[in-house]
Amino acid sequence: MTDEIDYEVDEENLPERVERQPLGEPSVIVDNVHITYRVFGARKGGTTQTKTPLLNRAISLGRPDTGPITEVRAVRGVSFVARHGESIGIVGTNGSGKSTLLRAIAGLLPPSKGRVFVSGEPALLGVNAALLPRLTGERNITIGGLALGLSLRQVRAHTPEVAEFAELGDFLFLPMSSYSSGMSSRLRFAISTMQTPDILMIDEALATGDASFRKKSTERIEQIRDHAGTVFFVSHSLASVRAMCTRVLWIDKGLLVADGDVDEVCDAYDAFVKGRSGASAGANLN
Amino acid sequence: MTTVTSGCVPFSDLTKNDRNDVPLKTCRAAKTPDMTGTKKEEPSLTEPKPGVPVATPLTSDEAQTLAQQSGLRQMGVRPPLRRYIRGIWGRRSFIWNLSSSRAYVRNQGSYLGQAWTVLRPILDAATMIIIFGFLFHGSAPGIENRAAFILIGSFSYSFFQGVVMAGVGSIPSDLQLIRSHQFPRAVVPLSAVLTETVLFGPILAAMVVLVIVTGFLPDMGGPVSPRWSWLLLPIAAMLLSLFSAGVALFFARLGARTPDIANIVPFFLSLGRFASGATFSIAGLTGHDSWFRPLLLYQPVQIFLELFRAVFGNEPLIPMSAGLWLLAILYAVGTFSIGFLFFWGAEETYGRD
Repeated sequence: MTDEIDYEVDEENLPERVERQPLGEPSVIVDNVHITYRVFGARKGGTTQTKTPLLNRAISLGRPDTGPITEVRAVRGVSFVARHGESIGIVGTNGSGKSTLLRAIAGLLPPSKGRVFVSGEPALLGVNAALLPRLTGERNITIGGLALGLSLRQVRAHTPEVAEFAELGDFLFLPMSSYSSGMSSRLRFAISTMQTPDILMIDEALATGDASFRKKSTERIEQIRDHAGTVFFVSHSLASVRAMCTRVLWIDKGLLVADGDVDEVCDAYDAFVKGRSGASAGANLN
Repeated sequence: MTTVTSGCVPFSDLTKNDRNDVPLKTCRAAKTPDMTGTKKEEPSLTEPKPGVPVATPLTSDEAQTLAQQSGLRQMGVRPPLRRYIRGIWGRRSFIWNLSSSRAYVRNQGSYLGQAWTVLRPILDAATMIIIFGFLFHGSAPGIENRAAFILIGSFSYSFFQGVVMAGVGSIPSDLQLIRSHQFPRAVVPLSAVLTETVLFGPILAAMVVLVIVTGFLPDMGGPVSPRWSWLLLPIAAMLLSLFSAGVALFFARLGARTPDIANIVPFFLSLGRFASGATFSIAGLTGHDSWFRPLLLYQPVQIFLELFRAVFGNEPLIPMSAGLWLLAILYAVGTFSIGFLFFWGAEETYGRD
């Protein structure tokens, strides 16, 4: 469903502590959003205790818990209001629904219930699914840029700096299938930084590549962040959350558990994670 | 151990209630317990540090009023039709680049590469020509050049078939793309249709060459001479593409959330191949008083096949007439409009699941 990369960021690569800005008008209102995934596939001894008769299993009518479809409730009723000038971090254990919530706010995943109101155009950084591995890097920059909503002229104008930022060298004219994984993630990140949105969402995009690229990408994100009004940041690295955010939402199993100042919520979350012994909470469907 | 003030639901209780819509309130600050002591159970979430500010969530109406006051728009709502069409037109470079890139990578990786785009339909047509052209002589009474008849019918129908199948599977195969970027979702099936149309260009050229070649086969009515009407071929192809796009958009919405549709559609497409007379003549084989004869003769795909054959103009039995063109244009524009509107009707749901 969503790709998550977990990296801990080195001390020297952390961005500068963000300055608090005066808060303006509300820019994002999330109203009781629920997101439910449907997953096809047989479940051996799944989550239901009842034995379904053979006929029901054979003729699957697609009902949850009886057919081959399982419903996964990723986000269950999250509500909050974000203002212009806030940098909001979203923390939670694996599978808690953070990335899903972020995509719903970005308008990329329609909620099953509830509404999202936004003031500008939100954009999710670090994601680019329009790329075709059999095409050259240059062609992919064109397609990726067009997918972001830029015009052809803008994309052509930005292509040299994107190629230089991603440090591709001669590989720019070779198919992406010949790139190393570091090169392709650098290119994806570089393509997604072509946009300068009003509501910025960053999904763990900071820690890809070697140290010099990480430094460059952190600077670039700060540049984009300065242009943006509201910033959402999803990460497992509490150090970067503390550095980048002024307010933190703690999501657990799709529920909003805490919402407040960065240091307080981060300390509470930290204590919770350290005290926990079991596997990630998101592994249970019920 | 922890003091829970009123209005707060401890986390452990939440796990029991969370299937109902219990309005969630974040917990008020409670006394900080001693976290360094030994713990026999997992710490519940009612132990945040003091001073974590609480925000009671707004009710739906309050949220709506606040949104209106601040000038926010609701996300995930189907845009009005005019704005939708303008949005798609604004994305035309994206559609074109995506289609042409995908057409280019379609046959990479094989030795013959791009040649397979043309070779495959030729092989299909060759089988049909052998069976219906030479073995079953009576399959197209009155038609002089049966090989060309079958060739044109087979290539054209395969194009229609390819476009519809591309449309059915377009949204599920591009789900990652939809979930990563904001754009009018009609871009996805439209680019699939355009990919197939771009790939039809070389096939059309091969069709022309092969029709000339069939003129030299034995018992096929003599050589085929090029005419001015052949210049209308690209227009006929565009019309067929428009019609197929309408059908593809229709099935794209159906197939978006129900993968089963992708199994049913090929059955109908096979049926359609026979009901459209791709390889035999419907006019010749159906009795004049059968009830389904006008149905089959005037159904859109048969009209388009007849249009292609009429444009080639080598059969006196299939003349090109203004009525034929008019009917084709009506079918194309009408089907596209219906399919597009049907697709737009569910715009806000694509990407779900």
